[in-house]
Amino acid sequence: MRKKLTVIPERCSGCRVCELVCSISHAGVNNPKKANIRVISLYPHPVIKMPIVCEQCKKPKCRDACPTDAIVVTDGVVTILEDRCVSCHACVGACPIGAIFVHEDIETPFKCDMCSGKPKCAAACPKKAILYVPEHTLGQAHRLASALQYANMQEVEYYEHGVKKKLRYAEIETGGTRGDYK
Amino acid sequence: MIIKGGYFMKVLHVDLTECKTHVEEVDEEFALKYIGGRGWGARLVWENMKEDTDPLSPENIIVIAPGPLSGLYLPSSGKTSFCSISPTTGIYGDSNIGGMFGVELRQAGFDAVVIKGKAPELSYLWIDDDDIQLKSAEKYAGMGSIETEHLLREDIGDETVKVASIGPAGEKLARMACITADWGRNAGRTGMGAVLGSKNLKAIAIRGTKDLPVADLPRLTLASNKAYKKLSRHNLFEFWQRQGLMSVIDYANTAGIIPTHNFKDTHFEEAEKINGDVMELEYKIGDTACFGCPMACGNVNLVKDGKYAGTVIEGPEYETAAMFGSNVGISDFSAILRANYLCDEYGIDTITAGSLISVMIEAYEKDLVTLEELDGMALTWGDDESIMEMIRKIAFREGVGDTLAEGAYGVIKRWPQLAPIINHVKGLDQSAYDARVAMTMALGYATSDIGAHHARAWPIAKELEMGANWDLNDKADLVIYHQTVRPLFDMLGVCRLPWIELGFDENTYAEFYSATVGIEFTLEELLKLSNDVYNLTRAINIRLGLVRSDDRPPDRVFNDPIKTGPHAGKVLNRDEFREILDIYYQRRGWDIDGIPTDETLKASDLEDAIEYMVQRKAK
Repeated sequence: MRKKLTVIPERCSGCRVCELVCSISHAGVNNPKKANIRVISLYPHPVIKMPIVCEQCKKPKCRDACPTDAIVVTDGVVTILEDRCVSCHACVGACPIGAIFVHEDIETPFKCDMCSGKPKCAAACPKKAILYVPEHTLGQAHRLASALQYANMQEVEYYEHGVKKKLRYAEIETGGTRGDYK
Repeated sequence: MIIKGGYFMKVLHVDLTECKTHVEEVDEEFALKYIGGRGWGARLVWENMKEDTDPLSPENIIVIAPGPLSGLYLPSSGKTSFCSISPTTGIYGDSNIGGMFGVELRQAGFDAVVIKGKAPELSYLWIDDDDIQLKSAEKYAGMGSIETEHLLREDIGDETVKVASIGPAGEKLARMACITADWGRNAGRTGMGAVLGSKNLKAIAIRGTKDLPVADLPRLTLASNKAYKKLSRHNLFEFWQRQGLMSVIDYANTAGIIPTHNFKDTHFEEAEKINGDVMELEYKIGDTACFGCPMACGNVNLVKDGKYAGTVIEGPEYETAAMFGSNVGISDFSAILRANYLCDEYGIDTITAGSLISVMIEAYEKDLVTLEELDGMALTWGDDESIMEMIRKIAFREGVGDTLAEGAYGVIKRWPQLAPIINHVKGLDQSAYDARVAMTMALGYATSDIGAHHARAWPIAKELEMGANWDLNDKADLVIYHQTVRPLFDMLGVCRLPWIELGFDENTYAEFYSATVGIEFTLEELLKLSNDVYNLTRAINIRLGLVRSDDRPPDRVFNDPIKTGPHAGKVLNRDEFREILDIYYQRRGWDIDGIPTDETLKASDLEDAIEYMVQRKAK
């Protein structure tokens, strides 16, 4: 079973523990700027924190952009072969999510290698914002959101041990509300 | 070199008057003796100061110091101290900030920055690794902290640059002005923002790329892996992420220590409208953590409807929610968020501002000030619109706000009749824990080296847990223990919350520090160094004219019994306080006037302080 790294930005607190564990295990130093993952924090419009990490595309744009065929896909992991790389940084610009990184101390660009199948960032994330999941479950969150959006969600407030809580439930309607039913 | 990590051994000195910078190599003895953060800051302030240093003069320095553990892979390593002589109190002051700012400073290769002088025009300091420039900030004049941070990033062209800045209150030298970084993390107390304002320094922007030096990275990693795992298994860990310090509202209200109506009372009827549950269920839109912190105590909140709709802010935490909630009689959480936003944007300390505004409400209630003196605002408890206006007036020094911006001492100078109702120690307004229920808390406030702040000692929970009737000697020891452990975190550059809130073993920090510097330290040795710094800050304060009578809790603690709640009728005994203060001095090795003895100073390797103490004794 092939697994992939995926992120849930809504959960991320921006603590950068992922950057720390990554830089220590890959670069051998405590330097978040040498990590293969980066957290981007934006505020206040919009408020979002998002870990950026390679999605291991099966047809990677970084590979297409590489003039020296230094980028290969091996066992589902997009890898930069340092001996072929001329460090032209074409891949850095080609990656649609900016998941290839550069640092002046390091000769070639660097990116996530999924820690040989045991990604340290996912294991360390205190907010469970980085997940390592079977590939076929990708998109599950969107499917769930779709279902919730389709259903006519209602809210009811109630008290439990003196604490106000909210319960959401779907109001079942007769017939569909989506255009394609009509 | 015996130090193998933890330090770059470099301090950046900035002289704003001369527009010059230079990098000083730090010697090992200094680095290890004072550890970093507040320790380094206190020592550098000591070496620079004179008996008559005006906090807002170019001669005063401000030290920005993360610690040797800042930025490292260990829980909550994002702390940075700002140390100076405080414009709020006139004595030593420090305040620390979480977020990412100090980590970036360390990555630029500096252990600390020392700023003195006064820039000819409003400026900002841009530290881009080794490239250091002083640039004009005229464009940002009068701008709020959050807006400044946003625009500076845009102008520099890098969204990841870290910025600390002051708002209009700092520029106007309001004595409770704070320094804000990462959009709402504040070095709130002791008026550090006014010090920057007096130097015409609007902001500091940093971008760093260097490896942080660690002597034994595998050893540190091993200890940290265990630490993160341990914290994540604590039964309150998840709750902490959800509510952070906002959970304290319910605790403080139930325990009867929440400031209510300017500390007249310690129980707020409507606390359940401003507690952590309300925040979590109705306002919270995201979590925020400081660097390396699994606890993520920060909460981003948004007001979705009503007159404050659109207000978005990281916060409040407990202090702000109490000072702008129960303490001014506000029970609308969206108004608390608005007050928090205004304070952050204008750059003022929420504790001091909340306290002084509540003082004015009580003063008007008791006819101690006239309507004219309040610029025609008939202040009442819970009147949120007037309270917002007061915040603005303080920040821009308009009308009555001009007096409030002078802090507790300024208010008392204009209205001596208000002295009994201002809850302050040494000019610093008391934080949001009432001291009438716990002698240890009163002693902690009274003897804190920066004034009435809980950062140094927070023994109130322990005293409530144990009941008030125990030996005064043990109470004094508890306060001293707190005042020794808690500042150690500020020296190392880490947060104390994993320890105080999630029961994390403080011995682990000795392991972190030993692995980082490559020299073995025990917790006892580190605590001794922290205690030495406490003697140093005491010596600074004695040099600046502090006397025994300054070590006293707010008058209300003795004079005004609590009205309602579990501690109704409670008040502290003045004679008992005198007694415990004697014990405290004696256990600290200070004489009856609170001056450290020669033996104490020698034991703390502070021989150079002895002559100054002798001079003070002569006076």
